Amino acid sequence: MEKRNDTAKTSLLILPRTFTSTEANKTGSWRYLRPRYEEKTSPCSNACPAGEDIARIEMLAEEGLFKEAWETILRENPFPAICGRVCFHPCEGRCNRKEFDEAVAIHQIERFLADTARKNDSKPVIVGRNEKRPEKIAIAGAGPAGLAAAYFLTRLGYGCEIFEAREEAGGILRWGIPPYRLPLDVLQAEIARIQDLGIPIRTGTPLGPSFLSEARGKYAAVFLGCGHSRPRGLGIPGEDLEGVEEGLPFLASIRRGDMPKISGPVAVVGGGNSAVDVARSVARLGGESWILYRRRREDMPAFETEILQALEEGVKIRELLAPVRLERKNGRFVFTLQPMRVDGKDVDGRGRIVPDGDVETMEFAKVFKAIGEEAGEDWYRPPAEDRDVLRLSNCTVSMKPGLPVLVYGGDLAASLKSVVHAVASAKEGAIALDILFREGRENLSGGLLKCRVGEGPSLSMEIHLGGPRGRRSSHIVSYSEINADYFQMAPRITQPRLLPEERLKGFDEIDLRISANLAIREAGRCFNCGLCNQCDNCFLFCPDMSIHRGEGGTDRWIDYDYCKGCGLCAAECPRNAMVLEEEKGS
Amino acid sequence: MKRVLEGSQAVAEAVRLSRVAVISAYPITPQTHIVETLSDFCAQGKMNARFLRVESEHSALASLIGAATTGVRAFTATSGQGLALMHEVLHWTSGARLPIVMAEVNRALAPGWNIWIDQTDSLAQRDTGWIQFYCESGQEVLDTVIQSYRLGEEVNMPVMVVLDAFFLSHTYEPVDVPEQEEVDRFLPPFVPKFKADPAAPCAFGPLVPPAAYMEMRHSMAQAMEEALRCYPAMEEAFEGLFGRRYGMVEAVHCEGSDIVLVTTGTVTSTCRQVLEELRGKGEKVGLLKLRMFRPFPTDEIRRHLGGAKKVAVIDRNFSFGASGIFAQEIRAALCNEPGHPPVFGFVAGIGGRDVTADTLKGIYEHVKAKESPDRESVWVGLQEVRNEA
Repeated sequence: MEKRNDTAKTSLLILPRTFTSTEANKTGSWRYLRPRYEEKTSPCSNACPAGEDIARIEMLAEEGLFKEAWETILRENPFPAICGRVCFHPCEGRCNRKEFDEAVAIHQIERFLADTARKNDSKPVIVGRNEKRPEKIAIAGAGPAGLAAAYFLTRLGYGCEIFEAREEAGGILRWGIPPYRLPLDVLQAEIARIQDLGIPIRTGTPLGPSFLSEARGKYAAVFLGCGHSRPRGLGIPGEDLEGVEEGLPFLASIRRGDMPKISGPVAVVGGGNSAVDVARSVARLGGESWILYRRRREDMPAFETEILQALEEGVKIRELLAPVRLERKNGRFVFTLQPMRVDGKDVDGRGRIVPDGDVETMEFAKVFKAIGEEAGEDWYRPPAEDRDVLRLSNCTVSMKPGLPVLVYGGDLAASLKSVVHAVASAKEGAIALDILFREGRENLSGGLLKCRVGEGPSLSMEIHLGGPRGRRSSHIVSYSEINADYFQMAPRITQPRLLPEERLKGFDEIDLRISANLAIREAGRCFNCGLCNQCDNCFLFCPDMSIHRGEGGTDRWIDYDYCKGCGLCAAECPRNAMVLEEEKGS
Repeated sequence: MKRVLEGSQAVAEAVRLSRVAVISAYPITPQTHIVETLSDFCAQGKMNARFLRVESEHSALASLIGAATTGVRAFTATSGQGLALMHEVLHWTSGARLPIVMAEVNRALAPGWNIWIDQTDSLAQRDTGWIQFYCESGQEVLDTVIQSYRLGEEVNMPVMVVLDAFFLSHTYEPVDVPEQEEVDRFLPPFVPKFKADPAAPCAFGPLVPPAAYMEMRHSMAQAMEEALRCYPAMEEAFEGLFGRRYGMVEAVHCEGSDIVLVTTGTVTSTCRQVLEELRGKGEKVGLLKLRMFRPFPTDEIRRHLGGAKKVAVIDRNFSFGASGIFAQEIRAALCNEPGHPPVFGFVAGIGGRDVTADTLKGIYEHVKAKESPDRESVWVGLQEVRNEA
């Protein structure tokens, strides 16, 4: 090789320069570490029971691609407008940004995207399977689980039919969640989008226990998402007195438009979301709400934000107070209550409560029981696990001979009673059925493992359908893997909200809309953990010009002929979308 | 036009008048006013220059190397720790033969943190291949920056214009700011002898083997000698246009004096006053102001100091384990001259302490009373330090 060196030389200036290309020197041979593009899993998406691709949703939202961001949600969850409002957003609890300043307000962006799509009357383009499957599937219950199951199964090519006992679809969303958290029009728009897929919803069609055996032949499978409807009793004298009401029917009557006037002190027994919703509804109807709970406030299963908002609205909570008996005196209810104290721990980890001193009495004008419900019919309940019954993370699959495949989902089988867990159970059930029908029972567990978001239990329909998300590593990005030097502190968006006094005037939605520029700014706070957002730090920092960009600057590749393996690209990647590995072989 | 300017502002005016194209600097007290003024100039459109904001002094000079390689005038300014951080790149600048000009405001090095004057920061860079000037007044600072571009571009070496922290950088004085047309006549547009040319891509500063490196370095040594040779003509041209001349050194009553005091920077002004007072009393005392330190004007120094009976060098700096740095260099310049005078070294005003007329008179009395120095350096004005262990 001839090397041409030019030396500019005057009497005083000797200046070394070289005009030969350095391309002859393949510095890649020096490398013992190899950088590689590898997208990873964000902790939020792993924490989302529906496995939403949150890091990507925020990336698209930040770019103003609202429809694409909304469609990205719809790949994994048919209810962004609902979940953006009522989900307890476990995603935000795992947000890496929390370690930096505050978690990204993921639920607010989700709601914004859904509301924007509705405002624009957007029609989503969601990738599904083109091929139609011969198996037909019946779905019992048009609650969140049943609707979501129909949505996922339809996308997988299965013909579905939903049977709903009540006069309208929606289940707990329609009858159990008050309008100030979930306005009716929002719910109806989400249900309409599912109907637009051509899924019939047979309302006012209760099914009997014989349905399962009759379904054989017509349906290859039945998805049961019947939910809880039978109230649990308090088991105390006087609980059946006239005027002592159950919480859920009360909420349902409000949903129907009944707005009874309530006055005086009202007791609501229980600590779950329904109890809180009943207490807040009572407050709106003019009553003075008292939540009576036998454990401590921190043990209440209701979501913390709901409890806080209830307190803002004047709801009073008395903790460590167990009901003993109810009596009626002079038109009032006299409630005898046993003060409790915490003594050690229960098996479930909560404080064990024991009576503490003498009983006390409180007088109320009205009493609501809201301590939870159980399955309305025994046959709704998933059977015990055996060799034909497989208990999955959020649903139970029964493959007993002589019956269609039965998938028990929703509140009756999910690990937690929440809307997003209902969606998770529907997705798990749908993927399980798809694997069963296409690949057989022996491939069920392995097939489900392949769809996990990170290490699970959340699953991804996009991965199941062979989408690009499946190429990501299951490694969940931690905060220490984020290069925080590239981010600036920025406060989390404040949720605009009706004032407590405004809220009490009616059942208007409390949380108000946010503007597009605020949504973009909030989405811009997302680290996009594990995803390449084409920031080009790798390209800028590479001292060997070994990062190449494809057409349109979207895909990147590394020229290993010259990459020395210095690792700058991986170190300067703000969001851990690269890895640096030891070079294998010679 | 005469204006009352801070020393720092005088630097900035000179940079503006020199039509510098790229400025890159990182702020550090006491240099900050220089870059503040320049960034103002750039923002207001008073200068047609790019002001690069960087994350460190190392990057400041490194980015100027890139800029200057394209054949444009480049400027930076720093102080103390900032200059120390630049050290590696200082060598690169001179080796790459880029006539970048830097204003360096002498600042004491930490610890302990001290933002006041001490010359050790710039003197520690004496072997980096930069031409160095030590200035006495705002006017001299302005003139020297303009001269530095002409001299540096002539020999392709970078130039450091050094000024005292606060005593010069932050002191307002009347300064004659020349018109742009006048400066343009003295300093025409830069015609680089080489520059990066996208039409003929090449790499600068590649591997140079033993067979060539020594010649390359020797050419830098020759360039420094050439700077000494070019200097008088440059100053003549300057004087012709502006009526001011400084010399590589300035000798005040050196001829026929028994004792000559050697000073640099603002101490020189104090010394001028002391000199008048002493000479009024009949003392045979002279003053040599050392202005150009690299290349070292050995011949000039021999000429002005060779006839004295004693020489006293005042150093606002110290080389630990040796002596004041100017004293070392003066001794080295004189030692090969037969019958050269003894050189007394005095260390004064370290870390911003005042060097007053009385300090200088004390030094004169000390030298007058002694036949020869009994040690290399006398630290002047040391206070008693009580150890409270």
